[in-house]
Amino acid sequence: MQQHATITEATFIHDAKSRLTPKPRRRPLHKMLVSFSAAYFVGALATDITYWQMPDVLWERFSIWLIVAGLVMAGLATIAYAIDLAGGRRIDRPAWPRAIGYALAVLLSVINAFVHSRDGYTAVVPTGLMLSGLVVVVLLLTAAVAMALAHRQRVGG
Amino acid sequence: MNHALKISRSAKLPRLAALLVTVAGLGLSGCDDHAGDPKMQIGANPVLPALQQYFMPPMAVAKVVGWGTETPAVAQGLQVHALATGFQHPRSLYVLPNGDVLVVESNGPKAPIDRPKDIITGWVQSFAGAKAKDANRITLLRGSKPDGTPELRTVFLDHLNSPFGVALVGHDLYVANTDGIMRFPYQDGQTSITAAGTKLTDLPGGPIDHHWTKALLASPDGSKLYVGVGSNSNIGENGIGAEYERAAIWEVDRASGAHRIFASGIRNPTGLQWEPETGKLWAIANERDEIGPDLVPDYLTSVKDGGFYGWPYSYYGQHLDPRIVPQRPDLVASAIVPDYALSSHVAPLGVAMYTGTDLPANYRSGAFVGEHGSWNRTPLNGYKVVFVPFSGGRPSGPAQDVVTGFLDANNHARGRPVGLAVDKSGGLLIADDVGNTVWRVSSSNPHSASNN
Repeated sequence: MQQHATITEATFIHDAKSRLTPKPRRRPLHKMLVSFSAAYFVGALATDITYWQMPDVLWERFSIWLIVAGLVMAGLATIAYAIDLAGGRRIDRPAWPRAIGYALAVLLSVINAFVHSRDGYTAVVPTGLMLSGLVVVVLLLTAAVAMALAHRQRVGG
Repeated sequence: MNHALKISRSAKLPRLAALLVTVAGLGLSGCDDHAGDPKMQIGANPVLPALQQYFMPPMAVAKVVGWGTETPAVAQGLQVHALATGFQHPRSLYVLPNGDVLVVESNGPKAPIDRPKDIITGWVQSFAGAKAKDANRITLLRGSKPDGTPELRTVFLDHLNSPFGVALVGHDLYVANTDGIMRFPYQDGQTSITAAGTKLTDLPGGPIDHHWTKALLASPDGSKLYVGVGSNSNIGENGIGAEYERAAIWEVDRASGAHRIFASGIRNPTGLQWEPETGKLWAIANERDEIGPDLVPDYLTSVKDGGFYGWPYSYYGQHLDPRIVPQRPDLVASAIVPDYALSSHVAPLGVAMYTGTDLPANYRSGAFVGEHGSWNRTPLNGYKVVFVPFSGGRPSGPAQDVVTGFLDANNHARGRPVGLAVDKSGGLLIADDVGNTVWRVSSSNPHSASNN
């Protein structure tokens, strides 16, 4: 188990190289979808900040559609994750910190979608903006923790 | 893997979980829905609770069940019967000088989807019968058979565009489509108009057209038309540019079609009437949503020339709405408090100042108001026709229930009252856009009741 985890992490880090060489397992489906989801949430923070500085409804609309798109992607990622598990595709280790972090980001984004569905200025300022920021912080922390753990495992393994 | 789980549990989770709970609490705290007694919000001094912002806006629409063999309930001394049934979403009524009744069958244009919320709202409203096909026509009813139904029923005017208000001046019949006032030639006794109309003026219509009904009232001398033009949003969420010349009562010059804003800041003025004693203009208005079950009370008010009534910046005078930025303190300072609150979310869509003599004496001076009923409040509010007594040209007491029973015991909607009119013999007519019926209320005293 430990041995195997080391190998997969190594291939993950050197992704570009691994693409050229045959792998023992196929690339996971869900990873790309997770990246899309995260990108949408980051985008929503950007449009929220813009709206806060320049309250034109256009930015508010961008935000809510970006959040919803992020949630749809997260839903698809969950399905893809299940397919990956069932299909025996490679899952990056350790998986739990990531899963918990992403789940938290999605949960916050669901709340954020409701706040962003309010009418007018208070759909964004202050609660919506705070939530969008918090989601990005959670995503960054998740990535940082996952990376640190992966590094530790690799060194320790 | 166990190792990782342990780390995330010990270090990350509690802090994040605490954050999550805090944030969720922030939002959910707005969910406490303690709707007060609507009676506290009727009259000149409604109790206005603190504003609240929802995490999840409440949607409580009454499921449509239809009337079956039931009829509405009426107050003592009155009786009610179905004048005619089988309409397509009848919204407003107009009585011609010869006694013919015009029934405007209309529904709003298709709402655009600008936000994910619009998809959900559209879906919920479809349960309340709001998505009925737009007939875009006016049906004429004439005379009365022994059973109380009309002797003649014809399509009076067809191929309109979400019509609502109607006004006859001499031989000119004006119909307020959602995007313009049309003039049609009318001869006394005519049962169908086939002539093409002439546009008097454009009115603010699409592409959003959030509040689409355009109420219409001619001045007593016939020189001016007053038009109720609703806002293009709940609270400016479509941008202030979309509100140009909306949330206002227009005064249109009948000869030239030129207009000026007679009064502004009235979110959705859905009915206009002259108060018979003072000759002043009165309006009913639908106020804003999503800041609580008891905010903001809809109202009945006299309309002052040049008056500003708050929307979107404030309500009931200087109560600021934080959802609109930038604010306009200059306008808010001048905001007029409406005369008479009808309580929150009742959705008044029809008003008739009673000048007839058929109904019992206690209805001889005052305004009937058709309350379509709430869609975002628990318990439901409205779904009835009330009477606001007037004395000396001002409301003089609490609103009384006149026609009820639009909801059954399970809070399902048999129908929903909309436009009102007083017919030639003094009966009160009620358009019911969910029951697809026009009801006639008359005195139960056989000496004065004319139709039964």
